[in-house]
Amino acid sequence: MTFIDFLNLLIAALLLAGIYAVMSVGMTVIYGVMKIVNLAHAGFMMTGAYFAYEVYERLHLDPILAALLAFGFFFLVGIAVHWLLVRWLPPSDRPTLQSLLLMFGLWLVLQNIGYLIWGNTDRSILTPRTLDLVHLGPITISSLRLVVFVAAVGCMALLEVALSRTWFGRSVRALIQNRYAGRIVGVDTEKTARLTFGLGIAFAGVAGALLATLFSFDPDFGRPFLLRAFVIIVLGGLESVSGVALGALILALVETFSILLVPAEYQPAISFGLLVVVLVVLPGGIASLWAKRRRLA
Amino acid sequence: MKNSSFLGKYAHALAAALLLAVVTSLLAGCSKKAAESEGIKIGVVMPTTGREGKPGTYQKEGIELAIRQINDAGGLQVGNRKLPLKEIFYDDGSDSAKSAQLTERAMSSDGVTAVIGGYSTALGEAESVMPDRYQTPWITPGAAASSIFAHGYQYAFGTLTPINLLGSTTAEFLGSLVDQGKLKKGLKIAMALENTDHGVDYGNGIERWLNQHPGYFKVVFSEKFDLGGTDFSGLLQKVKQAKADIFLSDAHLQDYITMQRQYIQSGMHHQMISYGARGPEADARKALGDGVDYIFAGIWWSDKLPYPQVQKFAADYQAFTGRKVDSWYAATAYEAVRALAAAIQAAGSLDKTAIRDQLRKLEMKDSLVPGQVLKFGPNGQVGYAFVMVQNKPDNKVDIVYPKDAATGEVIAPTPVSK
Repeated sequence: MTFIDFLNLLIAALLLAGIYAVMSVGMTVIYGVMKIVNLAHAGFMMTGAYFAYEVYERLHLDPILAALLAFGFFFLVGIAVHWLLVRWLPPSDRPTLQSLLLMFGLWLVLQNIGYLIWGNTDRSILTPRTLDLVHLGPITISSLRLVVFVAAVGCMALLEVALSRTWFGRSVRALIQNRYAGRIVGVDTEKTARLTFGLGIAFAGVAGALLATLFSFDPDFGRPFLLRAFVIIVLGGLESVSGVALGALILALVETFSILLVPAEYQPAISFGLLVVVLVVLPGGIASLWAKRRRLA
Repeated sequence: MKNSSFLGKYAHALAAALLLAVVTSLLAGCSKKAAESEGIKIGVVMPTTGREGKPGTYQKEGIELAIRQINDAGGLQVGNRKLPLKEIFYDDGSDSAKSAQLTERAMSSDGVTAVIGGYSTALGEAESVMPDRYQTPWITPGAAASSIFAHGYQYAFGTLTPINLLGSTTAEFLGSLVDQGKLKKGLKIAMALENTDHGVDYGNGIERWLNQHPGYFKVVFSEKFDLGGTDFSGLLQKVKQAKADIFLSDAHLQDYITMQRQYIQSGMHHQMISYGARGPEADARKALGDGVDYIFAGIWWSDKLPYPQVQKFAADYQAFTGRKVDSWYAATAYEAVRALAAAIQAAGSLDKTAIRDQLRKLEMKDSLVPGQVLKFGPNGQVGYAFVMVQNKPDNKVDIVYPKDAATGEVIAPTPVSK
């Protein structure tokens, strides 16, 4: 493999990591604050993809702009779902069977609503940018992937700023660290949980809208991405946003480069092998290494 | 406490609603059975939801068109009675386990005379174990892997030519381009095949032809990939490194769209490119625009075949569904019903073994398939030739091989895009 080939692959892995991060971070914040494993995440990604499709087809707006609109729309959807369903779940420090079943059921409902509205036809978004290439000397990059990457990284950066610089962010971090201590120091747990759930769903919608520009989709869309999101959040630590970014990068690098050493048919085995190894060796994910280091210092 | 009492309050109502739903569906099932006592019951097990929902729906439409036409003509002559065909439809949701279970239900408790089912190799394989167990004829119009027909089953039939023939016809077509001087001899081939029997058969077909015709081409790369992939950049990088002249993949529709999109985005180009049986689908054109130009595919059927019965079928299908016939899916399903109907009439009874025997002897000479003759081989699978089509600019698709069915000249090697 030449150096140029290596660079091309590295860029492909980085672009993939951006997408992986934005599709996983919504699950992480919801789990961190509410200890809910959001199995309906795939369903919201699917509806995000259709949201971008409808905005593009009916309003002729750019799908990337549609992804930004999806943030607001799915935030409100998340708030509504929380008010209708999630707030009735008993609060818990760990994932409960009720929350798992509720989210799984919601995923099935979303999927079937998708079949009712859009049928089982594959849809895709074809814009003049879809097949455009950017040539940087011998390196070739898909301009659409680049735009999607920038949008994804932008979303992650905004989330990081929101979590570190705002009262809401501080409340979220407090609840991630210790729900009861957070309540003692005056954090409004109910309101923070509601906003966090909205935020998590908003990220699922944005991820779905961005993915729709790269892949064709149907109401079953999101399932393979959900499995990867699990790997990423376990890798990054279940409650760490920066850990998710690192987990996404590791998974993208492993998936992209491992294929050069082993046949492509083993690609899923490598991803899930990595998940098993991390669960056994580092159950707290990579973020637990940082925490350990901080404690030692 | 408040939350748990809320759930508890509605638990009884929920349980009552579920019970009511179960009772209602049982009663509906009983009345349905009574209503279906007259006529020849044909089980149709197809995916109309899930991953394979779209081609499964097309196949269902082909089946229903044939049933409608047979019934409009007065039904089938069975002994001294004329009986209509009655379809009992089951949606397997693209789930192999459910597909097998529904086929078993159709054959055991629902008492069908025959089953038509199994779109895709995976679903067809799951269903294929049932026909011999219940001694009920089963015709698959959508599963072509030869492994399904390699077990010596006596009641299993298929209206799709085996995939290894797709591989060998693809190689034969490329060989014909060498003979015509359009491609040079000794070109290198890279293959990326889906990790299913479909992909394995396709690869074997190509390798077999190459072994029988040494010197034409050389395979420099061959690797499998998993169905439903989200990223093929690593695999395509390996293909790029192989520095091949021809890229042959075998993929289902979604993977074809994803892989071709990434292929273009990687700036790759080969003298010839194919995704096996995928290529001319409208969905791919919609997803990739002119990015699918010059891709060639081996398909079981085309509405451009120059036979009058094909033109009639295409017109009937459009009148029946309101849509143009998009691909081969409906045609092979339509032929499965016609073959079964011919066998039932020839048997003169609804005896399943007699119908099976007539299917074995059947030779339908006005068929829609390439060559116009549909005949099941000793293993139950048909063996007609594939037609090779090529996508061309301006949404055009031409049959380019065999010559006697060609509607346009093949463009080879494919031009480098601007």
